[in-house]
Amino acid sequence: MIETLVSPLQYDYMLKAILVSGLIGGVCAFLSCFITLKGWSLMGDALAHSVVPGVAIAYALGLPFAVGAFGTGLLAAVGMAFVKVKTRLREDAVIGIVFTAFFAFGLFLISLNPSSVNLRTIVFGNILGISDPDVWQMIIISGLTLAVLAIKWRDLLLFCFDTNQARAMGLNVTALHYTLLTLLSATAVAALQTVGACLVVAMLVTPGATAYLLTDRFGRMIGIASSMGVATSLVGAYASYFFDGSTGGCIVTLQTLVFLAVFVFAPKHGVLAARSKRRLAAEGAS
Amino acid sequence: MDTLLEPFRYGFMVDAMIVGSMVGLVCAVLSCYLVLKGWSLMGDAISHAVLPGIVIAYAIGLPIAVGAFLSGLLCAVGTGYIKANSRVKEDTAMGVVFTGLFAFGLVLFTKVKSDLHLDHILFGNILGLETGDLRNTLIVGVIVLVTVLVLRRDLLLFCFDPSQARAIGLRTGLLYYLLLSMLAMTIVVSLKAVGIILVIAMLITPGCIAYLLTDRFGKMLWIASGSAVFSSLAGVYVSFFLNASTGACIVLMQALLFVITLFLAPKHGLLFTNRNVKETSDSVGGSI
Repeated sequence: MIETLVSPLQYDYMLKAILVSGLIGGVCAFLSCFITLKGWSLMGDALAHSVVPGVAIAYALGLPFAVGAFGTGLLAAVGMAFVKVKTRLREDAVIGIVFTAFFAFGLFLISLNPSSVNLRTIVFGNILGISDPDVWQMIIISGLTLAVLAIKWRDLLLFCFDTNQARAMGLNVTALHYTLLTLLSATAVAALQTVGACLVVAMLVTPGATAYLLTDRFGRMIGIASSMGVATSLVGAYASYFFDGSTGGCIVTLQTLVFLAVFVFAPKHGVLAARSKRRLAAEGAS
Repeated sequence: MDTLLEPFRYGFMVDAMIVGSMVGLVCAVLSCYLVLKGWSLMGDAISHAVLPGIVIAYAIGLPIAVGAFLSGLLCAVGTGYIKANSRVKEDTAMGVVFTGLFAFGLVLFTKVKSDLHLDHILFGNILGLETGDLRNTLIVGVIVLVTVLVLRRDLLLFCFDPSQARAIGLRTGLLYYLLLSMLAMTIVVSLKAVGIILVIAMLITPGCIAYLLTDRFGKMLWIASGSAVFSSLAGVYVSFFLNASTGACIVLMQALLFVITLFLAPKHGLLFTNRNVKETSDSVGGSI
């Protein structure tokens, strides 16, 4: 029994995958607190899809994939801002147009040059086959993101909560906007390797949403989200060994299950708590 | 000349063009409503969420379209439930639900041994259509189109101003689910052609192109449909020569049309608005 449970840990590639997933899960979860407050879930999804052509180009040219991915991610963000300012289209439509165009372009490039990069690696991630240089890219991205968040978190928090207030206090709101966008692209690139383009948004939203249901204080929210991100990624990657299935799928399914449990049972903001509160109120009234 | 006509000599190319145009047409008509309603994200979410339905339906022997339809609706209803019963914002709730379903679909997919190709579900396989596909696409396409055309005014009012629609006695709840169901159905028929990721583009871009070109909804429907059918035909045609992914070519063609419109649209295009602003300011200056 114990032998079976320990068996994944005997393989170097499993150990590496579990640890890298945990790291990325933690960083994404940290950022997810800001993303859920700001209401940027769609942006996370869009950037995760927009990095695909960058990855294709980077592999074709032999560059580090993070550089290409980060480049097209930012290009997409700038493109969205440009179209939004210049037209009367709604923001969600603009985001949709730009990211699908980028994704289609990525697909187009890959279909022209199928040998250089495997489409499945991009769409579903390939944490089990991650190479050592890629691991280093992940660690550097995670370190930088955490450092920026640690230094700037108060400003970013105010920006996400109340942009006008932030502006009134003399913070440079535009700079903060682009800082958050840059961090989002960077983590999307990192998460791409673990869970793939379609599921990155889960890592960037679900932990924050779960923590938001459990606490009213932002400091605690970050703590809860990060621990949940790390724990679900570690366990999900570990479990994928037994399921013989997609690592990203396992991690995100686990995160969703935790969210659902919290949604129902959370002490203050859960469905059950709300129901009993309503009943108490009704009894009190009668 | 012979080379240019070559794609038409292959039956599968002609089929692809017919199915591509039909899918483009239906998506384009819906996209006009979605753009007005601000539901672009809904298309994104539902299209990802159909994955577990497809796998489960396959495993228990139901038609794939039924499973896909049900899990697409589950995503929409689940999002609404979570939003109504917690303090999580709608976009976040949607992000949690659709990724959860997609991930669950992926895990199921690896567990259920099947002849399904994940690549085909995700990116479409329009050049490898099976015999029934052409007929199914046409039937569902016609159903959605007729429904939309019959209820054109009600849906329009619902998208534009739900409270007004309710005030004049329309059943907005029903319209809401009707629009959702048509969205889910459209996504299901588009699966074969462009796959669940690129269909998002087909459900957004044509409506946006048309919205930049006209202020009248009737015209918007025509422009959106025309641009989508043209993109599908041109995309399939071009992909033959480039030997590139057909779905990607269709979407890129739409994106190209959007960029052209963005700059050249007579009233809302960038080139002309800049000039108008200048002319207006000139004339204002002159009158003073």
